Amino acid sequence: MDRKQRMAMRKSAMAGRLNDAARAIDAAMEKAGISPSQKGEFLDWTIASLWSNFREERMNQRIMIENEIRQLGLRFPNGTVKKEYAVFFELPTDKISDIKLSGAEELGLNFSIDEDGKCSLTGKPASAGDFTLRLRYNTIEGEPSSELSIPVAFNPNPRDLWKNIPTDENIPYYKPDSDSAYIKVEVDEAGEPKKDIVAASRRGRSHAQEGKARDDHFSLYHCDKSDWYIMAVADGAGSAKYSRKGSEVACKTVIDHCKELLLDNPAFESSIREYESDRDNNEKRTTLTRNIIDIIYKGAMKAHEAVKKVAEANEEAKLKDFATTLMFAVCKKYEFGWFIASFWVGDGAMCLFDAENKTAKLLGTPDEGEFSGQTRFLTMPEIFRDPEVVAKRLRMAIVPDFTALFLMSDGISDPMFETDVNLRDYSKWEEFYNRLKTGFPEDEIGGVDLSDDNEEAKDQLLKWLDFWSPGNHDDRTIVILY
Amino acid sequence: MRRLPVYLLIDTSGSMRGEPIESVKVGLEAMISSLRQDPFALESVSISIITFDRDVKQILPLTPLDELQLPEISTPESGPTHTGLALKLLCEKIDQEVSLSTPDKKGDWMPLLFLMTDGKPSDSQLYKEMIPEVKKRHFASIIACAAGPSAKTEPLKELTSEVYSLDTVDSTAFKKFFKWVSDSIGVGNRSIGATDDLVLPPPPAEVNVII
Repeated sequence: MDRKQRMAMRKSAMAGRLNDAARAIDAAMEKAGISPSQKGEFLDWTIASLWSNFREERMNQRIMIENEIRQLGLRFPNGTVKKEYAVFFELPTDKISDIKLSGAEELGLNFSIDEDGKCSLTGKPASAGDFTLRLRYNTIEGEPSSELSIPVAFNPNPRDLWKNIPTDENIPYYKPDSDSAYIKVEVDEAGEPKKDIVAASRRGRSHAQEGKARDDHFSLYHCDKSDWYIMAVADGAGSAKYSRKGSEVACKTVIDHCKELLLDNPAFESSIREYESDRDNNEKRTTLTRNIIDIIYKGAMKAHEAVKKVAEANEEAKLKDFATTLMFAVCKKYEFGWFIASFWVGDGAMCLFDAENKTAKLLGTPDEGEFSGQTRFLTMPEIFRDPEVVAKRLRMAIVPDFTALFLMSDGISDPMFETDVNLRDYSKWEEFYNRLKTGFPEDEIGGVDLSDDNEEAKDQLLKWLDFWSPGNHDDRTIVILY
Repeated sequence: MRRLPVYLLIDTSGSMRGEPIESVKVGLEAMISSLRQDPFALESVSISIITFDRDVKQILPLTPLDELQLPEISTPESGPTHTGLALKLLCEKIDQEVSLSTPDKKGDWMPLLFLMTDGKPSDSQLYKEMIPEVKKRHFASIIACAAGPSAKTEPLKELTSEVYSLDTVDSTAFKKFFKWVSDSIGVGNRSIGATDDLVLPPPPAEVNVII
């Protein structure tokens, strides 16, 4: 048998089987009582209705799978623009095929899926906003593709949103948006280097965003004649409309007051020497304390009065509109070491840091409330009515030497130390000191070179104050005696 | 990281069904996207939503703004408005979710509360009892909004001095209202500090000040 013959035989066998089937259907139709003239019509109807049943079932299957996919509850977490984004999820590849996530590419994301249905959506979102991704897939052969919309939101990077609107110079009590100063104290007769003061103050981003003024302030003074160092930092309350003036008046008042009292005060200086030579002597201690109260405590009171006076001179404002914190210190080097006396009301931090002996001595206690941002102010009369005000707020220290005396507003101490416990932790101060020196290379912010007579330190410090810390955008002010 | 907790209490009683609640959703969406444009809010605001009708539900636990996705809001056919019960749940959630300063942890900023209702509390006894409890929670500001003609402002005035009203409950009114809410949150963010009273931005024309 050749090939042709074989094919012909197979063909006729098939025709025979088809004829058999047709005869069987014919017989069945006759049995059911279908007249020969209706047979064709009936067959058409049967096929059409079965086909529609078939299609309906297919569609139902597709809808069931679509529901199943919907019930997976696919939700993409929010991302941040230009920051690594990655979500992982699973799809049932035994039920769906040709899976695509349309819209992903346009957003700068890459969608991939492996054989087991493990999916990943990764990349760096190109732009911020609310978007919709469409998951497209096939379910049943011959059915149209299915689609599921999944919303996704990319936040802007908060750093890109900050504006720097200069403060209107015509507002009452205007002050520049930043300030810095360096007090260079030349070497002494013996050629020994002497400590200098560097200070910087910068308006917080939250103020810059709205073109509002800096509320912080600092003032410095070194008396060449008496060799006293005097420094003050004040943080005007964010919610008080003229606090920028309150902080300024408070700083200037205490500096002027201390300057005058320290210029030529042999009684005070001898009480320091007396006390130092006999520290267990209660009488000598009392004499010194009395002197400190006269200079330091009275300085604080004077500052309170001075702010009050400014407030009273302003008809449309109250004292609390000038609310400010205040910390200040006076220091002098003697042959036996450094004498330091200070006053502190409010938050922030004032600390005597000694890297050599690994100590960090807080010169007081920050006033903190139950909630963040609650503190006490120089402008609250009850501060001075408190019978323990002297014990709480006045400090005195005599130390052989120290690395740095820091005075800072909470715009710095909050992000750098976070809590009171950390403020008492030497290692945190060491970390802070290193941060000052190294800066923030990851954010391209340089460090501060705290070497003697480096006047550039004031510009370095001002730049350093621009460091990034989420949620911490208050004014930042720091004074360093080093 | 210190947060500014913002609690939104939204009336979902039967009368809010349909256009009003849809308008609220649109308003909320707009509020969220506008807050996301504010760098300070983006870093510090956390939002919680509590809905109240017969049932009281916290449909969104206190969630940082950058992670926030608005949940579905549904309204029943009809039934009472359990505002008092909502305040009760609010106090519980505040106690659980808002952290106070301790020596080794910085607390959150003082929370803000926005309450929106189109009626009056059906559980007025509980509502009255809860008012001093709410006040104990030290909100930086409580803003109440009476939406639509059947909203009663009297009970709201017992809760706060900041009571506002909307004449209509359509999408324009809610959009404006929530825009103003987001502006107020922005203010809350920045003016936290010395004084207890928050100076709110002036409300838009659609929002009436109730004295």
